[in-house]
Amino acid sequence: MRSSLELKERRTWRWLLCLAGGSVAAAAEPTFYAARVAPVLDRHCVVCHGPEKKKAGLRLDSFDHLMAGAESGSIVKPGDVKGSELHRRITLPATDEEVMPSDGKPSLSADEIKIIALWIEAGASPTKSLADFPTAPALRPARVAPVPLAPSWREKAAEIAALEKKFGVKLVPRSQVPTDGLVLRSASAPQRCNDQVLAGLAPVARFIVDAELARTPVTDAGLKALGSWENLRAIDLTRTKVTSAGLAALSGLKHLEVINLTDTAVDDAGVTTLRALPGLKRAWLFGSKATVTQYPVATAP
Amino acid sequence: MSAHPDFHDHSLCSDHGGEHPSVWDLPQVPLGLKREWLALETRRHFLGRGVKALGAAGLATLLGRTAPNLLANVAAAGTPGPNFAPKAKRAIYLFMAGSPSQFETWDYKPGLAKMFDQDLPESVRGGQVLTGMTASQARFPIAPSRYAFAQHGKAGHWVSELFPHTAKIADELCVLKSLHTEAINHEPAILQLTTGNMFAGRPSIGAWLSYGLGAANDELPTFVVMTSKMPVRTNVQALSNRLWSSGFLSPEHAAVALRAGNDPVLYINNPAGVDGDLRQAMIAGVNDLNRQLFERVGDPEINARIAQYEMAFRMQTSVPELTDFSSEPASTWELYGPKAKEPGTYAYNCLMARRLAERGVRFTQVFLRTWDQHSNLPTNIKVMAEESDRATYALVTDLKQRGLLDDTLVIWGGEFGRTVYSQGVLRPDNYGRDHHPRCFSMWLAGGGVKPGVSYGETDDFSYNIVKDPVHIRDLHATLLHLFGLDHNKLSFKFQGLDQRLTGVLPSRVIDAILA
Repeated sequence: MRSSLELKERRTWRWLLCLAGGSVAAAAEPTFYAARVAPVLDRHCVVCHGPEKKKAGLRLDSFDHLMAGAESGSIVKPGDVKGSELHRRITLPATDEEVMPSDGKPSLSADEIKIIALWIEAGASPTKSLADFPTAPALRPARVAPVPLAPSWREKAAEIAALEKKFGVKLVPRSQVPTDGLVLRSASAPQRCNDQVLAGLAPVARFIVDAELARTPVTDAGLKALGSWENLRAIDLTRTKVTSAGLAALSGLKHLEVINLTDTAVDDAGVTTLRALPGLKRAWLFGSKATVTQYPVATAP
Repeated sequence: MSAHPDFHDHSLCSDHGGEHPSVWDLPQVPLGLKREWLALETRRHFLGRGVKALGAAGLATLLGRTAPNLLANVAAAGTPGPNFAPKAKRAIYLFMAGSPSQFETWDYKPGLAKMFDQDLPESVRGGQVLTGMTASQARFPIAPSRYAFAQHGKAGHWVSELFPHTAKIADELCVLKSLHTEAINHEPAILQLTTGNMFAGRPSIGAWLSYGLGAANDELPTFVVMTSKMPVRTNVQALSNRLWSSGFLSPEHAAVALRAGNDPVLYINNPAGVDGDLRQAMIAGVNDLNRQLFERVGDPEINARIAQYEMAFRMQTSVPELTDFSSEPASTWELYGPKAKEPGTYAYNCLMARRLAERGVRFTQVFLRTWDQHSNLPTNIKVMAEESDRATYALVTDLKQRGLLDDTLVIWGGEFGRTVYSQGVLRPDNYGRDHHPRCFSMWLAGGGVKPGVSYGETDDFSYNIVKDPVHIRDLHATLLHLFGLDHNKLSFKFQGLDQRLTGVLPSRVIDAILA
């Protein structure tokens, strides 16, 4: 993957080239191609159709490359939106085999498609300015890449599967993004997921962001193991034997946001301990010995 | 099985000791011809079923079930899981079958009070085709709600006086006032909400979730349905397993329906003289035979049957624990009320839904029917609201206090709306309302939905939508989105189409109601 910095650099280059070779008017105002079309292609296409991969012999990282087309021929027919392969591919249904971007990558937004269509309709010009396209939508900034919650578990898939089998728990990816982390699921056999199991999961613990431990025999000893699971965001300890004393072991979990202590023996001392956790947003204490049922305390209606 | 019309094909049953006659049994047919016929039949089987067997392989991968022996012949590959990180881990759909009138529940229309018995302007109705029940009426007189409304919570939702308990959780609710559908009768309308299509035979929402996400708890079904005892006995909607079937998906994705009685799953206990070991050995033996059959025939239905046997065996342990309410504290009964102790009531089912959610069941659908008030609406809707109000409030409150509401989506609503004009007699204290597909209200809570907001608007007669329409497809797309699934990508090839819950017509995730 190219970094956004590199992309920006290339875009600047294109700019400079444009300035050097373009008219005076272009110098005063960016071209529509540079300001709207190229960023869309950069965002969605260049990763496969660029200097690195050139899939189907197609590069979309410059105007010349775009107009040169693919092995199978040109993909832009100036003035003919419907006849342009580029437009056809990006407007196919998501399930069509020929849809672009392929492989389940995010499709172009309606605005982005409109930008491409307007540009082709107006002759696919490299020099027309932004002002020539008064009806063109503005480009929304690219969605910020999701913050990785944990390192990718992909390389450790075999080890994860082996531990699942050994301990009778599930380690389920939260999503198809491997840095979204794993959920530890014990619901199929909660009685099996005890303190020893938590200790035994240490080799893959950094991938676990959500530990579902409700109704397991986990005690304060198990919390000691959890204390080193650095990427935990959520722990459900409903109806376990953990106590306030054990919660101190979690003090190093700086990402922990939610902890469920429903139906445990945790009391107000435990709430005080939780308060010190820097990332904690919510603790659930219904049925515990604490005087509040949740933290932060719900504001009175 | 119903999804495969060729299931009763005879060619391979007979030589497996089945009761059907086979080619071999036909007299006066030369042996060579019989052989050729059988070869063709087997080839047809292979072509017809082979594709489905491949589908099953993909399915098993998606399933992510790790139960021993289950679909063991299918090599595990790939990763189960959603397209993106989900907000909801589970959902509870409280289906108010028969369709509560929006006028007495969630779509407050104060202007109608002054228009009692006035004719609905023709311009509003816009030449709409009406049902046979009111099409022949000489007049369409406006019937204002006989129940008052007040604003509740910081959200300021207008809540009917019929729902004093639900009013207390107003700030948890996202009220949708602009649902619409094409169906005008219960059967197709309920099907459209539960399966995305008015025709029977499609997978239900819960089956799609099971297919896409697998089970969180292997000891219980992924999808559970409960039909509540009926508070009134008029205009009863037929509910059956076409509403919770797996359609063309593997049958193991269909819901297990818990019965409304003391024994929610029949024959779950071993008969006298059969202990657990013997039962286990018997099931292992049957499954072994089924596995051999699968190797020869390749019909994925056989794998589904193996899975069902194993699930039934595991439920022998999990269901008694699930249905034993003795460990519930006194506070539970104070919250849900005394009716929750009576198996099969809506209140009991709401409590059961919470227990299923705690145990990782992904989709629970509770039906409460007989909301269909064509006449005597003021009396009957009060009975229905009383049945629904407290238990619904209790469920949401209970999920919230136990920290489950954040990742449990709760849905409350019927299959269409009702007419502003009265069907039959119109008095201030008595009227009826006919079916109305053009707009209706529902509410959502928890599971990544914005709390305390209202979405969509109808006109002064709650007859047409004036802002932000929500088709059932949009609701389904949004529901899948909350589970981390892209509705365009969750598909299954059947009859030459990449079938989806949202079908092929345009649908959208309602971004504005996402938390």
